[in-house]
Amino acid sequence: MDNKKVISIILGVMCVLLTCGIAIQIRTTNNAGTMQSTNTAENKLRDAVLKSKEQYDNIYNELEAAEKRLEKERADVTQNNGELAELENKIKENKKAVGLAEVKGQGIIVTLNDNQKISSSSYIGDPNDLLIHYSDVVRVVNELKNAGAEAISVNEQRIVTTSSIECDGTVIKINGVKIGTPIEIKAIGFQEMLINIDRQGGYLRLLREKYGLVANAEKKDEITIPKYSGLIKFNYAVTK
Amino acid sequence: MKSNIKKEKIVMSITIGIACFALMLVMFMQFKVVQQTDIMAIENMRESELRVELTDWNQKCEEINERYQEVMSKIEEYQNERESDEKTSQLLLEELSQLNEILGMTDVEGEGVVITIVDNEGKELSEDVTVERISEENLLLVVNALFDAGAEAVSINDQRIVAMSDIFTIGEEFLRVNGAKIESPYVIKAIGDKSYLENSVMGKGGEVMKLRELGHDANVSVAKKIKIDKYKNTISTKYLD
Repeated sequence: MDNKKVISIILGVMCVLLTCGIAIQIRTTNNAGTMQSTNTAENKLRDAVLKSKEQYDNIYNELEAAEKRLEKERADVTQNNGELAELENKIKENKKAVGLAEVKGQGIIVTLNDNQKISSSSYIGDPNDLLIHYSDVVRVVNELKNAGAEAISVNEQRIVTTSSIECDGTVIKINGVKIGTPIEIKAIGFQEMLINIDRQGGYLRLLREKYGLVANAEKKDEITIPKYSGLIKFNYAVTK
Repeated sequence: MKSNIKKEKIVMSITIGIACFALMLVMFMQFKVVQQTDIMAIENMRESELRVELTDWNQKCEEINERYQEVMSKIEEYQNERESDEKTSQLLLEELSQLNEILGMTDVEGEGVVITIVDNEGKELSEDVTVERISEENLLLVVNALFDAGAEAVSINDQRIVAMSDIFTIGEEFLRVNGAKIESPYVIKAIGDKSYLENSVMGKGGEVMKLRELGHDANVSVAKKIKIDKYKNTISTKYLD
C-alpha cells in the first residue's frame, strides 16, 4: 500500500513536470508563430540565414579541433630541438598577446552599471546621466590599458587590435556582439597598477560619485579571459 | 507468487523510468535547439535586414572555411616536413610573421583615409565661448569609430594603435599615445574600405563633424595608398598564463 502511494506520487510529479515543459514549448512556438509573416520571400531568407548560421557553427567547431591538432603537431615537431622550441614558444606567446588564445592571470574586474537608486521617470535632469554609455566603456578600457593591462575582455568579449566598442541605438556592441548591463570588464596585468584606476579624480570615481552609477574595481588573483571568437584577417592592409 | 508480483513491479518501474528519461532528453534537445538558433531575433527581422544578415553570415562562413583549410594544410605541412629542421623552422617563421602582422608589428600599406585635426584651443567662438582643448576622449572616439567601420590598421601621429594602446594624459599639457608625446595637428591614418571609413566619421553625428562643431579644424582625405608604421614598443605578456 505504502509502496503504491510512493510510486503514484513520483509518477504524478513527473507528469506535472512534463506537462509544464510541453506547455512552455507550445507557448514559445505559438509566440513565434504569431509574428511569422506570410511573406514567403522573407521566410525563405530566414531559412537561409538559419542554415548559414548552422553551417558557421559546424565549421567553427571543426576549426577549433583543427587548431588544437595544429598546436599538438607544432609541439611534437619542435620538442627535440631547442631553437625550434623557442620559435614554437614565441608563437604561443604571440597568440596570447593578439587575443587568439585563452589567458589566465592576476588582475582586476571592473563592474559598470546604470544608476540603481533613481528611476528615470522620477529624475529631473537628463535621463542619459543615469545610464552607462559606450563612451564610458571606451574610457574605462583606455584607463586599464594605460595601467598596463595585457589582456582585457568586456562581458567575455576579448579586446583585440581591431575591436571597437559600438553604439547601436540603445545597445552596446563589442566585436559585433550585443552586450547588456551589468558590464563586467576583466583585465590581466600587474594588480597593484591596475587597481589604481579607482583613484581620486579618475574616471571610475567620476562615474560613481558625480553620476551615482555603479563603477567598482575589485582585485582577483585568478582571472580567465577567453580568446577572440572571430577571425582577425587583413583584406586591405598589406605588409610591406 | 509473491516474487512474481515483485518482479513485475520492478520491470514496470524500469520501463517507466526509461520512458521518462527519453522524454526528458527530447525536451532538453528541443530547448537547446531553440536557444541556439535564437529564432525570435530572426523572426522579427524585415526583408532588407535579413538580406544583410544573410550576406554577413555567408561571408563569415567563407572566411572561417578559408581559415580552416589553412590550418589543415599547415598540419599537413608540419607532418610532411618533420624530418627537416630547416623546413620546420621556415613553417614556424611563417606562422610568426602572420601573427606579427595582426599584432601590428609590421609596416602596412593600403587604401584608407587620413584625418587631420588642428586643435583650436582658446579661439573665441562667440563672446563668452572659447574652444576647449582636444581631449583624450575626442581622439579615442575617432579611433573607435574607425575600427567600427572596419579599419585594419590605425595610427595617430605615426603611433600605431594596437590592442593595448592607450591615449592618455595625466596632469600634462599634451596627450600621450603608447606613452609617446603627441601634439596638434593630430594626423590619424586608417587603412580599410575607404568609403566606409570616410562615411563613418563624416556622416551626421560622425566624430569629425563633432570636432568641427566644437570649433576645431578637422579634415578627411581619402587615398588609394596609405602607409602605416609598425608598433615600435614591445608587447608585454609577463602576466599572461
